[in-house]
Amino acid sequence: MSKPLEVLLLDDEPIVGRRLKPALVKIGCRVEVFENPREAVARIGQKEFDIVVTDIRMEEMDGLQVFKHVQEKWPRTKVIMITGYAKIDLAREAMGKGVFDFIAKPFRPDDLRQIIANAAEALGAPIDFSSMGDELVEA
Amino acid sequence: MDMHITDIKNPEINHENDPENMSLHERPSISIRAKVAISFSLFFILSFTVTGWSYWILTKLETKIDFLEIADNYMAEIQQARRFEKNYLLYSTDLEEALEHLKTADAILKQKNEQIEKILEKEHFKTMVTYMSKYHNQLVLLRSAKNDKEKELIVPMLRQFGSQMVSFAGEFVEKEQISAKRMFLLAKRVPLYFMSVLFVLMSFVLMFLARQLLLTLNRFMEYTKRIGEGDFSPILPARKYKDEFTKLAEAFNHMIKELDHKHNVLLESHKLRAIGTLVAGVAHELNNPLNNTLLTASMLTEDFHTLSEEEKMEMVNDVINETERAQRVVKNLLDFAREGETAIAPLEIGKIVEDSTRLVVNQVKFAKVNLELNCETNLPRIHGDEQKLKQVFVNLILNAVDVLTPGGQIRIHVQKDQTPGYVLVTVKDNGPGIPEHIQGRIFDPFFTTKAQSKGTGLGLSVSQGIIKKLGGYIHLTSNPDKGTIFTVSLPTTESASEIMSK
Repeated sequence: MSKPLEVLLLDDEPIVGRRLKPALVKIGCRVEVFENPREAVARIGQKEFDIVVTDIRMEEMDGLQVFKHVQEKWPRTKVIMITGYAKIDLAREAMGKGVFDFIAKPFRPDDLRQIIANAAEALGAPIDFSSMGDELVEA
Repeated sequence: MDMHITDIKNPEINHENDPENMSLHERPSISIRAKVAISFSLFFILSFTVTGWSYWILTKLETKIDFLEIADNYMAEIQQARRFEKNYLLYSTDLEEALEHLKTADAILKQKNEQIEKILEKEHFKTMVTYMSKYHNQLVLLRSAKNDKEKELIVPMLRQFGSQMVSFAGEFVEKEQISAKRMFLLAKRVPLYFMSVLFVLMSFVLMFLARQLLLTLNRFMEYTKRIGEGDFSPILPARKYKDEFTKLAEAFNHMIKELDHKHNVLLESHKLRAIGTLVAGVAHELNNPLNNTLLTASMLTEDFHTLSEEEKMEMVNDVINETERAQRVVKNLLDFAREGETAIAPLEIGKIVEDSTRLVVNQVKFAKVNLELNCETNLPRIHGDEQKLKQVFVNLILNAVDVLTPGGQIRIHVQKDQTPGYVLVTVKDNGPGIPEHIQGRIFDPFFTTKAQSKGTGLGLSVSQGIIKKLGGYIHLTSNPDKGTIFTVSLPTTESASEIMSK
């Protein structure tokens, strides 16, 4: 296994981070969890992540603003958006700007894992998510 | 629909038995028709009396004139008799002529005795006849007198009776002439008096009827104004009796009932629209606890065998808490959306406004505006329908959200009104304000400044209807560039009962 995927997870719901962190760690990601968008943006300024997963609707700063920061600082980083509810026009707008993918609440951990696997492949560092899943089930 | 068609076809629409018309109906009936009929009969009786009197006085005059004619003839005869008597005494002419005239006079009296008696009365008539017969006797004596000596004895008596006879008749004629003149004058004047009395009476009746009609019409104009403003309380009796206008009032009450019904339908449709708006926000809010539950449950199954007891417990508790969170979100909306009869109850205004802000919290979040709620403590309770009041405040806040750009401010204050017995809720935004020329129409139904797909134009109209029904008022102050303040004033439970009974 090559070097782990660096993932930043931002959602103002604490449970999201609490549950997704172990889920992503299992597929070989190194995960940093944030609830506050400002703190997350500050961290992005310090470190290049492979993947940033952010909620769209947050107080203070929304996901698109976070995306802009990431894009300016690290053009290579893939950004995945979590939306409260699917709004086609908003999704289309963001996708046009270069957001990697969307995931709508409520979702299963596997849904996000799949998208992260896709992003890893796009980054040229594929992870064997399906075998990981099997392994988990067997275990 | 069939009902309405028959209603229109049937001119005798009967709303007497509608419950809201009971008080109108339970009064003695004095119809306008009866009033007009009474006035006309009064005029007729008056005219009839005056005409009858005129007829009577003219008849009386006629007899007087007849009498005067007779009296004139009689006077002429007796005067003629006396002239011949003088001639006889002076020139010794024939006395027969005098007797002849006296006979004619007597004939007149006898012939017209009834008429004369009527005017002179029996007593005077007798005196007159006596005087004449005495004079006649003296004349006869004079005629039969043998010599001058005898004549001289008779002459003084003759003269006395003669002058008595003439003066008595003359007096009477004069008296009757005066009385006839007076009667003429009266007959001439009475129509004039009658005319003036009639004029006064007619103006009075006219004024009375017109006043009654106009006052009632004005009252009905007031009613239409009141109804137009959304006050759908039935018309109560304003007078002690009922008439044709009562039928109109009954029809009005029927219309008010229908309008109230329609208004409630409108209210419901507006509420549905508000619910539609809120649901979008609630769906988002609901997705968070759902997502948390799904993620937690998924990870619990996935790692069931590797997790510690403690971790498992924490996750199960998370599931419970998040489910309860979802329940709260749904409950708040359901409380608002639940269809129910109007239930007036003493309410805490602060809690209602707070619940309303919670309902729109997502819309406020989406629009990235700030909402600030400031509530005085220990406010008196108000009388109202919880759901409907929430509908008003949700509507006011959503309106404010619609006009604000991100970063805008909504400030809500709940406080005591300066008017005792009222509490005040102000919803203030720092949006672009409402142009003065449309401020007057802002509460009109179907008036909207929003795009057709966004607004129905019912919100403020419905809100005004709700607040007015509770005895409160809602108004706005708006300055371009300084924003808009909507003020809702509601009576507290202490004052509400007084207002409602008005």
